[in-house]
Amino acid sequence: MSTKEEILNRLRANVRETYDMPDLGFAKTTHDDPVAKFIETATTTAGARLIEVKPEDDLNELIRQAYPEAKVVSSNVPGIRADRNPDEVACAQDLDGTDVGVIKGEVACAENACVWIPQTMKEKAICFIAEYLVLIVSKKNIVSNMHEAYERIQFNDYGFGTFISGPSKTADIEQSLVYGAQAARGMTILLTE
Amino acid sequence: MSTKHSLAAEKFIQDSNRVTRHDQTFWSVRAKRDAQAHDLSEWEDLREAASQIKKHTVTHLADYLQKFEENATRNGVHVHWAKDAAEYNDIVMQILTEHQVHKVVKSKSMLTEECHLNEHLEKHGIEVVETDLGERILQMMKLAPSHIVMPAIHITREQVGHCFEEQIQSEKGNYDPTYLTRCARYHLRDNFMTAECGMTGANFGIAETGDVVVCTNEGNADMSTSVPKLHIVSMGLEKLIPNYEAMGVFHRLLARCGTGQATTVYTSHFRKPRPGGEMHIILVDNGRSSILGDEEHWQTLKCMRCGACMNTCPVYRRSGGYSYTYFIPGPIGINLGMLKDRNANYHNVSACTLCCSCDNVCPVKVDLSTQIYRWRQRLDSWGKANSMKKAMSKGMKLMFEHPALYGTALKMAPMANILPRWMTNVRMNAWAKGHEMPEFAKKSFHAQWKDLKKGGQK
Repeated sequence: MSTKEEILNRLRANVRETYDMPDLGFAKTTHDDPVAKFIETATTTAGARLIEVKPEDDLNELIRQAYPEAKVVSSNVPGIRADRNPDEVACAQDLDGTDVGVIKGEVACAENACVWIPQTMKEKAICFIAEYLVLIVSKKNIVSNMHEAYERIQFNDYGFGTFISGPSKTADIEQSLVYGAQAARGMTILLTE
Repeated sequence: MSTKHSLAAEKFIQDSNRVTRHDQTFWSVRAKRDAQAHDLSEWEDLREAASQIKKHTVTHLADYLQKFEENATRNGVHVHWAKDAAEYNDIVMQILTEHQVHKVVKSKSMLTEECHLNEHLEKHGIEVVETDLGERILQMMKLAPSHIVMPAIHITREQVGHCFEEQIQSEKGNYDPTYLTRCARYHLRDNFMTAECGMTGANFGIAETGDVVVCTNEGNADMSTSVPKLHIVSMGLEKLIPNYEAMGVFHRLLARCGTGQATTVYTSHFRKPRPGGEMHIILVDNGRSSILGDEEHWQTLKCMRCGACMNTCPVYRRSGGYSYTYFIPGPIGINLGMLKDRNANYHNVSACTLCCSCDNVCPVKVDLSTQIYRWRQRLDSWGKANSMKKAMSKGMKLMFEHPALYGTALKMAPMANILPRWMTNVRMNAWAKGHEMPEFAKKSFHAQWKDLKKGGQK
């Protein structure tokens, strides 16, 4: 008997009583103005900067103003001026040294500032390896809570997606909060219409 | 007959500043958790839903596991099954050998601690680099985690500084947490660039899609899996949930309960291997399928390892993670330790005041304190009961069953007040440890009540 069969048999033999999947239809907190709530959580607890983009704004200019000292920008977002492209680098290591990574989020959640980023590039390292991350999100895609967010998220052929809420952080040394543990040290959200 | 826990705790509390710091640190996490819970009017609905989803899943686990394997395999992921730690370690080693791996970067996984994976890999010449900052500090200091979510919180910044000075050449005397974190960042960055394999645990497995969900604040699991081409996931059988509707419930509970945050910074969903890469999931039993058969303790399988029960536990907060004999401390660790090996771990069951605080914070409603009580009831049948407590229980039983004897004892109790201190504050009297004996009232409550009643009738 294989290990798998052995485990499955033991699991089946050891169940005495079975339980049904509960109904998850209980009332969940929603926000009257999810956009305002998202801006609040993103810029307070999540520790991100946020710029509300006006229709006449140039994204490249906003990025340059946000990170004037950046030397290496990496992105595959159409229209974004970049020095490296995560679709074209030979390997993930080539993205190391990126000052600013620019990526797009698809769904944003007001309760915790989580932004859904499906992998849309060959090397997803761009989402984590950059010193600073710029996230482009549309106001239209903001939902109230994680139940709504999980209803909306989509996977593509790359088969990877992540929720990111602010810059990387740690409090492992005496509970002192430090931004920039292993991934992005800071984040700017560009909130478009 | 002191337990190993009480002996170790006695050492821990010798430094009262350390105890205060430890206690306050975890109590502040508990307070943050409370603030998050009070912020959501559906909090109790979420807990009840989480408990029921887990009950449903673990009592249908064989079917869900098959479904999970089917879906993951369809996604191009290799799924392996391990019945115990030895088989698990062998499978990991085999995958690493096939890929000629010399260095592994690892994000935090309690399962790998449970199976002693690092030692096994190192024995075979593999370099293992923990990438969670706390875990890396402990690995450098050759220490075990003292908490499952905040593993190195008991270490001071000076200790971290000394360790980094020696091992990664940080500036001498610089104990600033931001500086030290930065040093670790550069040190780990080098390792991410050169490792051939990234290993992660799994916070959740999604049966309906075959996905694995991993949550971190540092982004270390993502760095570990975005640079090396080989990704190995180690997952305990009980980590499975049915679908993404359920995931919404658990996502909202996990970080709020664990660290008092509304979310971890990263919640990553792995469905397929990276382009040109390979992904393996090892499903590990190591006693879990037997726990399901334990009528009194099967609900420990609902646990999602958030650590809330430790943060709230008055005994954990004041005795530290190393006082327990099992690698997982606190209320859940007491129970899991007993399920693993009761002869090695019965020492921990008295590390509980039965205050039931853990039951009230557990996001999946594991009846932790009731379970600890049950273990205690069985201690005597295994010959592990404390002989002093046993004698006292017998004495008390005799006294309470004989009212005359009880009355006499009560009348004589105030005599203890006039006995010299050396007679009452003896080693045998555990109540006298750390504080003076209380003074007995001259008249018992019983006698006072009778007098009052007489007075009232007058």
